[in-house]
Amino acid sequence: MSLIEAKTAQGHIEVKNFALSYETIDGSVAAVTDTQIQVKPGEFVSIVGPSGCGKSTLLNAVAGFLKPTAGTVTVDGEEVKGPSAERGMVFQQYSLFPWKTVRENVEFGLKMRGMERSRRERAARTLLGIAGLEAFEKHYPDRLSGGMKQRVGIVRALATGPKVLLLDEPFGALDAQTRVIMQQILTNMWQRLKISVLFVTHDIDEAIFLSDRVYCMTARPGSIKAEIPIPLERPRQQSMMMSSEFLGLRRGLMSLIREESLKAMGGEISDLGMQGLNIDLHGQSLADVL
Amino acid sequence: MSSPSLVRQPTESKTSATTVELAPPTSAPVIDPVTLRVLAGRWFRLNRERMRAMLIGVISLVAFLIVWHLLTKYRVVFFVRFTNVPSPLAVYASFTKAIHDPKFLLHVLLSCRRIIFGFSLAALFAVPLGLVMGRFKLIHEIVFPVSEVLRPIPAIAWVPMAIMLWPTNEQSIVFITFLGSFFPILVNTLHGMSLVDPVLVRAARCLGAKEASIFREVYFPASLPHIFTGLTVGMGVAWVSLIAAEMISGQYGIGYFTWEAYSLVQYADIALGMIAIGVLGLLSSLLIRSAGKLAMPWGRT
Repeated sequence: MSLIEAKTAQGHIEVKNFALSYETIDGSVAAVTDTQIQVKPGEFVSIVGPSGCGKSTLLNAVAGFLKPTAGTVTVDGEEVKGPSAERGMVFQQYSLFPWKTVRENVEFGLKMRGMERSRRERAARTLLGIAGLEAFEKHYPDRLSGGMKQRVGIVRALATGPKVLLLDEPFGALDAQTRVIMQQILTNMWQRLKISVLFVTHDIDEAIFLSDRVYCMTARPGSIKAEIPIPLERPRQQSMMMSSEFLGLRRGLMSLIREESLKAMGGEISDLGMQGLNIDLHGQSLADVL
Repeated sequence: MSSPSLVRQPTESKTSATTVELAPPTSAPVIDPVTLRVLAGRWFRLNRERMRAMLIGVISLVAFLIVWHLLTKYRVVFFVRFTNVPSPLAVYASFTKAIHDPKFLLHVLLSCRRIIFGFSLAALFAVPLGLVMGRFKLIHEIVFPVSEVLRPIPAIAWVPMAIMLWPTNEQSIVFITFLGSFFPILVNTLHGMSLVDPVLVRAARCLGAKEASIFREVYFPASLPHIFTGLTVGMGVAWVSLIAAEMISGQYGIGYFTWEAYSLVQYADIALGMIAIGVLGLLSSLLIRSAGKLAMPWGRT
């Protein structure tokens, strides 16, 4: 067993005693405190939490864009010191280079590695074929739909053969139907490539449907509130989202996040909101009533 | 009227498609006159807006010429005096004479040469400087205060200084042209650099790009639209500066030609000089715009 482990142990993310704070004029503000997470090789892990809880901050630290104030981020035991092609990243805003064609976008990582033109062209074509985008290789991103752009974004991040794929709310800007298709495409690619995935989202259904495990974060300053294994069998079908097992997980996660979201909004505001539901104005202005 | 053509269109295209399939490229396809008419109709419908704009443009220009003609023919004096203003016909006559005059062509060529030198040098210095200033804070902090002090000085105000600085008249005129276009190019390049989407830079970083590649593959292309805006504005200011410099200190050039025409009481040549300047300015900005389209094929057209 240890032999197999050693062979496939690629892309093991470990975040230990992690904290990150920003310096402001009022002193330092903690974004994330005392956080431990790990993604085992080949595992699909999501982070959910209320907005502003620092889940993107955490992801950016794993990518190497932010340095932790305390604790360590390691991939396969090696400390993350800066961004690298070993950790591919997919952004919510697609972030394709508008001046490069679809194929040139996909080739970019290979070009940076110094691969010669003909080889990287062939590699990019193959990858685009898998994503069903071969017909668009010469298009500029400007001409593509959101779903197509994000498929290019994913393919581009995978082209260099990273150990880890990091996704920051990648489907947040897509409509519901496209989102479902994209989730399936991502699952397919993940299973094919046996790559570790760390996925940040605020969509609970998405997190459950895609993941092996879900971390739920607390309101700012963020830390891990709960770790929820998702025992749903694979391959997962759309119909599973109606199963009692799925709905049970969903209910659990939902109440965890709701608690934190209310906390994030501040106790007073949430009380006011509750009052507001029953207010009868009787012709008075809202200010008079309050 | 539109319904029969709508019915005919698909059948037309279908027959033409099968002809192409059947006939090998050796035999030239016979163009059906009906197809030609349909094609012409379609072309007309697609380009109707453009043709309309062109037609109105032509009418407007002709109207301008007629008004000009009438104003000069009747020597209108109404606040403005048209007594000595040459008529369009007189200007045309002097134009036909000028194009056979090697001296006039020399004026035009020398102005163009000054623009090419001055403007190219400005682009060659201002674009890289703007890129480097946008990327490296220290260089920005060093250069920016100086450029902010020099920038508001109109290029024409440099004429006396330029004459002192440069050994020949020609060099000082090129220098004035250079200064005129330098700052618009620099400022726009800087602006472009400040607008580069940081997410694209991050995307490049986690695809393994190092500093030099990020500069070449992200910052430069991302700033290109603004660089070209700067070049277009810079070209305009280059002409303004050149003409002013030629009028003050020139011996040749279209600006000098125009001023000389006034001194020599050749009024038709004044208008000819002005129109020549306008046409040259228009051509050079067209040139830059098409260069921009070539350099940025990803832009919307």
